[in-house]
Amino acid sequence: MTRSVRLAMGQALIEQRSFWRSAEYALFTFAFPLMILLLIGAANVGSYLPGTHIKNTTVFVPGILAFGVIVAAYVNLGSKVAVLRHDGVLKRIKTTPLPSGAYLGGLLVSTVATAILLTVGTGLIGWLAFGAMPRPGGLLALAAGLILGIVCFASLGLAISSVITSAESAGPVTYASFLPIAIISGVFDPTFGGLPAWLSHVVALFPVKSLAEVLQNAYAAQPFPAWDLANLGLWAAAGATFAVWRFRWHS
Amino acid sequence: MTDSVAVQVCDLQMSYGATQVLYGVDFEVRYGEVFCLLGPNGAGKTTTLEILEGFRRPTAGTVRVLGLDPATQAARLRERAGMVLQECGFPRQARVAELIDLWRTYYPNPRPLGDLLEVVELTEARNTQVRKLSVGQRRRLDFALALAGDPDLVFLDEPTTGFDPEARRRCWAAIENLRRLGKTILLTTHYLDEAERLADRIAILREGRIELAGTTQEVAVLAGLATRISFTTPTALRCGQIPLPDGLDLTVRGSEAVCHSGNPGMTLRLLLDWALEYRLGDLDGLAVTAPSLEDTYLQLTGAGADPHLSQASGDRT
Repeated sequence: MTRSVRLAMGQALIEQRSFWRSAEYALFTFAFPLMILLLIGAANVGSYLPGTHIKNTTVFVPGILAFGVIVAAYVNLGSKVAVLRHDGVLKRIKTTPLPSGAYLGGLLVSTVATAILLTVGTGLIGWLAFGAMPRPGGLLALAAGLILGIVCFASLGLAISSVITSAESAGPVTYASFLPIAIISGVFDPTFGGLPAWLSHVVALFPVKSLAEVLQNAYAAQPFPAWDLANLGLWAAAGATFAVWRFRWHS
Repeated sequence: MTDSVAVQVCDLQMSYGATQVLYGVDFEVRYGEVFCLLGPNGAGKTTTLEILEGFRRPTAGTVRVLGLDPATQAARLRERAGMVLQECGFPRQARVAELIDLWRTYYPNPRPLGDLLEVVELTEARNTQVRKLSVGQRRRLDFALALAGDPDLVFLDEPTTGFDPEARRRCWAAIENLRRLGKTILLTTHYLDEAERLADRIAILREGRIELAGTTQEVAVLAGLATRISFTTPTALRCGQIPLPDGLDLTVRGSEAVCHSGNPGMTLRLLLDWALEYRLGDLDGLAVTAPSLEDTYLQLTGAGADPHLSQASGDRT
């Protein structure tokens, strides 16, 4: 058991090292959300949500936090595993005595580390640039949202990796499968509205909006997001089930 | 089951659905030898290897690798056997020494890093990113990773397929280094020269059956191939002044006279008697050639049946 943990940590370390060495991964994972944070955030400074005293940025910053978690856990892990499978690295791992759990555990630990770093970076910039901070009473929702969000989107990432058929399509498939939902969930635009009622009901079923709402609750008091937390849990369970069912060590 | 052999395969059968690919394969690999499964594409070489590596469960038959059953004891087997699969990628950002070092952490008793780099001749490339390696260097890195746990046995599945001559030569050198470390090696190939060059013993696998097994020479003898006897055509014979020897299948091809015989001793005696009778002396350029692995292989598999065959023969230097 301790050996597996040690092996998993070693694996996580080397994953982190290679992540930071790879310009494409590090740049897209970190630069993309932070750039959106600064550009769209700047456009929202001084605006308030219609009919309230809540600043746009107070809702926008946690939206980008959610976006960062999704990029780090879902896009990054999903495309990474798809590429590892396509390249035959997973197959090679099976020729060694390394326990499968230790290997996948290492990938997950590395994913969590990336997600936490990105969250801290986004939170700090959101605070320094726009003065957005979680409210003291929202720290529980913040922690619950981050933990459940990372678990949920990592399991969805593992799940989607199994339906990606080539290394080249890994990035496009993972981004294209959540960006449209993120946009109509209002992640990039605090005042986003005007959707047909049926569509906003459908969007609310997806975990993207749920994660954004939990984190927004941590910044601006809103009703406790019980439904959103439950929804994240459901998606996490569904993603994990599909990932386990479809996981393959070779392409 | 005896412990004196590293790999024992008894009546191994394998079917994928309704398609049978192995029909009762038998062979054994002794400790410390380089054993080669030679055969054309589709003969069942990789399937056999994958069963031995514990990746596939056979339909029938018994298999023991280092005294273990690969189907049920794969985890223990992987601590003691290194596996080089036909095609297998590396993590994209890794560097050579870093990757080998990571692999060393997977095993209870790893070989030292410097030693591994030396065996596969990658010491110079130790800080190179893996994606910048040549095809041949990648293959040698495969070897290093398979050797990281200091295994007793190494599986090599078609180690040089598609390589240029220089890459092959360096790969062969690395395999020779493995042999010198006393590793037992089981390799598959469809290249004759590779088998002939590297293997202590060979089994020819064709359409899911072992046709022959033994050393290069044993295989040829077992195949019942004739020894070739040749000599420079004496001028008198060339000009038709003397008759051909009785009872011998002698053909004159310009400057060379050739006959094939399953009993070279008797044939030689008849030839020399005939030479004495017609005062031809000791027969200039007399040569007795044992049947080669190539002759054996060509006869067994049918020349030209496998597109790689002509290429493999053409590569011979």
